[in-house]
This record gives sequence, structure tokens and C-alpha cells, in this order.
Amino acid sequence: MLDDAGPDPVVQMYHVYKRYGSQDALHDINLIVSKNDFLFIAGPSGAGKTSLLRLIFMGEEVSRGQILINGINLQRVRRTKLPLLRRNIGVVFQDFRLINSYTVYENIALVIEAAGRQRRYIQKKVRQVLRMVGLEDRIYTFPPKLSGGEQQRVALARAAVGDPLILLADEPTGNLDTDCADMVFDLLKQLHLRGSTIIVATHDRRLFEKAQGRIVLLNNGRIEGEIRS
Amino acid sequence: MNLTILSSVFRRALRNISASPYLHMAATGTIAFSILIIGAFAMLYMNINDLIGSWQQNIRVVAYLTDKVPKASIEPLRQNIAGLYGVKRVRFVSKDQAMARLRSQLKHRQSLLDGLSENPLPAAFEIQLIRAWQSWGRIDPLTEQIKAFPEISDVEYGEAWLHRFSAFISFFRLAALIIGGLVFATAVFVCTNTIRLAIYAKRAELEIMRLVGATDFFISTPFYIQNLLEGLLGGLIAIGLLFASYKLFVANVQAPGVFMGPFQGRFLSLPGTGALLAAGMLMGWCGSFLSLKQFLKP
Repeated sequence: MLDDAGPDPVVQMYHVYKRYGSQDALHDINLIVSKNDFLFIAGPSGAGKTSLLRLIFMGEEVSRGQILINGINLQRVRRTKLPLLRRNIGVVFQDFRLINSYTVYENIALVIEAAGRQRRYIQKKVRQVLRMVGLEDRIYTFPPKLSGGEQQRVALARAAVGDPLILLADEPTGNLDTDCADMVFDLLKQLHLRGSTIIVATHDRRLFEKAQGRIVLLNNGRIEGEIRS
Repeated sequence: MNLTILSSVFRRALRNISASPYLHMAATGTIAFSILIIGAFAMLYMNINDLIGSWQQNIRVVAYLTDKVPKASIEPLRQNIAGLYGVKRVRFVSKDQAMARLRSQLKHRQSLLDGLSENPLPAAFEIQLIRAWQSWGRIDPLTEQIKAFPEISDVEYGEAWLHRFSAFISFFRLAALIIGGLVFATAVFVCTNTIRLAIYAKRAELEIMRLVGATDFFISTPFYIQNLLEGLLGGLIAIGLLFASYKLFVANVQAPGVFMGPFQGRFLSLPGTGALLAAGMLMGWCGSFLSLKQFLKP
């Protein structure tokens, strides 16, 4: 997929392998994602979609190959510098991964608190993203009191609050009904329009059939092709 | 680091404590108990050392004369002994003076001595030593020198029990160090496991923090703070209990003049108290460090 390299690559993967024990989860992955791309990684369960995203957000290290994020080679980044690099990437998970003992506000604020932003900026920014996802009135609610769709919108707000360069979403609509899924997908499109690079891993055909963007087909840890919709 | 990060880590530390109060109470209790034991040993050791010091200051050597010493030889002999290195003053106590002193000490039981046909007590020299010679290591050679005079039949300064006591103190010091070390290690072990349990309970939360770009400092500092607070609180509780026990001891057990003579026990000094508090906090810090080292491993 190197032929599709745009003018401003934010993710570059060269001959990337990920091996768990004796099994290859990812096999010779070559992929370039340019700035403001909307990329779907499509494939059945077990295809390696989550592994691919985990490598991009530095949740794991590659077994072989090279990954560059915004021009920075991840293999050469010192461990202490990883948090700074991670702040360029927002992540949304299928299971939301919100901290249940934190309010909606605290869950979202955590991202920019960790980056050392000023209190006033944090308050302003959290309200802004909550307005965007339509949950401003739930600011002091704890996640267990929210519906699945609302929790995913909070997760999306958390991923977006740091103005990341790349937003990764791993099966973001997997646990949601059609209406909620559409709402979450519309929010992703909205973030894309605002300039974010979006990478969505999904096995939901309905999602990428109605979207415009690149679709990379992954199967058994290998890229089998790419289509543009 | 800035104010936002500092306030966030402190808030999370307090939140962690309030989320599992019993766990933290157990850790605080263990630290308090450990510091109490270490502090009690330290105080006991310090007071015994003081006691030995006060005894050493009053060491008096008694040299007994043979019965055949002519009166005329006594003063030259006294001067000879007074001229030895380490001797401050030599006082002659005749047989009659010794008997009079015994009678006054026996008070109401003086009649016990009435049946004696002759005075069995020997004349003696009471020898006071200069300060530098008031140590066990220097008395022995001096008494050997005194014993070498043919007019002297025996020299006493209670060496047998003093030597035994010195040996006991050495053993006590070693035992205190070993027990203190074990107690310290136990407290660190408990703190380590407290934090490990807290981390286990919060592993999803900590994983999320990592994913959103939180640094190791941001993630781990609340745990350090909570264990340092536990250490500080445990130390304060232990020092409070130790002080209360000391006051109780002084008020009830240490009757003035009984077996300890004029010696007054003392509580730990300010630096000593500070060292105990620091030890409590060190226990907490070690506990955090050991458990977080594992969690933050790359």
C-alpha cells in the first residue's frame, strides 16, 4: 500500500511483523496513512486489526519492521519519550474503557491534565468536546449511569480532547445499536472534517460502505488489498 | 511539572486512600507497629548506654590490704598508688572505719555484729579514677598494677558482672539490629503488597492513563504519596504510643533511687524522633518503589 503514499504521511509502516509466540498476528505489513486520511481497516475477527492499531498507538512493540509516526521512528524513541508521542494519538475502544470511578468530566480532563495544561484551559476544552458529542448535560455523571452509546461518545470526546494528530477507533460501533452507531460514526466524520486523520478498524461492512475513504482489507494478518469508496 | 499535574496527583492519591480505607489502615497499622518496635529497641538501647555511662562515671576500685601492713607503710603505699596513671584520688579506710561504715549500713541489724570477737574487715584503699580511665578496657591493666604491690591482697571493682553486662550489651545491640532489620523488611513487604493490590484494582485505570499519554511520574506519584502519608501517619502513631509508654514507665515503674540509682531514663531526642518518622516514610516509599518497579516495567 506504499503506492498510496500521500504528500504528508503521518503513519508509515514498513515490513511490519507482529508475532505472539509462534504465530504471526501481522505479516509483512506495508502501509502509509497521510494527513487527514479517513482509513478503514476492514477484516473478519482475528484478522489482526486490533494488533495493527496497538502497534500504532504504541501499546506493543513490533517484532520486525519499522513504524514511523509523524516522521518519528518508534523503535528509536526512548521509553521516557513515549507518553509525549502518545499524546498525538487519540484512541477509541469497542469496550469504551472509561474509568468508572471518575466523572465524565474527569475521564476527559485526564488526557490534558497528564499533558500539564492549565486548569482554565482544561475546563474550557472539556466542555467544548462534550458539546460536540452532545453530552454537556452529563458532565458530572459517572460512566455506569450512561448508556452504551453515551459512553462511546464520552470515549470519543476523550480521544479528541487533546487535538490529536491521529484518531484510532477499534470497532467503535461494535457494542452499539444502529442509531448509536450512526451517531458515533457521524462524530468521527465531523472530527475528520476538522482536520484529524482517522483510522477505524471494523468488521462492520455497513460502516465503510456508507463512508468515503480508503479501505484496507486485512485477513490472517496480511493486507489483501485496498479499495477507495 | 506544573500545578495542574501536582494537584491531579494529590487528588488521585487522596481518592485512592478513600477508595480502599481498610487496606490503607492495615498498611498504616503495620508501619506504626514496626516503628513502635524499632523505636522501643532504640530507646532501650539508648537508655542502657546512658545507664552504663553513668555507672562508668562512678567506678570505684577498692584495693584490700593484707593484715600485716605496718601503719608506717600505709601513707607511702597510698602515695605510690595515687601516682599511677589514671588514678585521681586514693582514700585510706582503716579496719575500724570499715566496721563503722558496715554498722551504719546495717542500721537496725547492728546486733548481728555484736557477736564478733574481732574485726574481720580488711583495711582498704578506695581509689577514684580520672574520667579517661573510667572504661572497662583501661581498668583491668590498672588493677593489675595495683595488685602487684605485695601489701595488696585483692582488688575489686565488680569486674565479673560488668564484663558479663558488657557482653550482654553487645549481644543486645546485634539482636536489635537484626530484629529492626526484619521488622523493617516486614513493613516494606506489607506496603509493597498494599500498593500491589491497589495497582491490581486499578490496572485498567492505569492502563488507560498510559494510553492517553500519562508519564510514569503522573501514574506512579499518587501511589508514592499515599504510601509516604501512611508512613508519616504510622510513624506519628508509633511515636505517640512510645511517648505514652515512656511517661507511664517514668510515673509508675521507675521509682526514684530503686535499682537504677540517680539515673533518669530519657525519651528519644528530636533528631531521633525525626529519624523514626523518616524510617516510617522510607518503609512506605520502599513499598511503592518495589511494586511500581514491576508495574512500570517496559
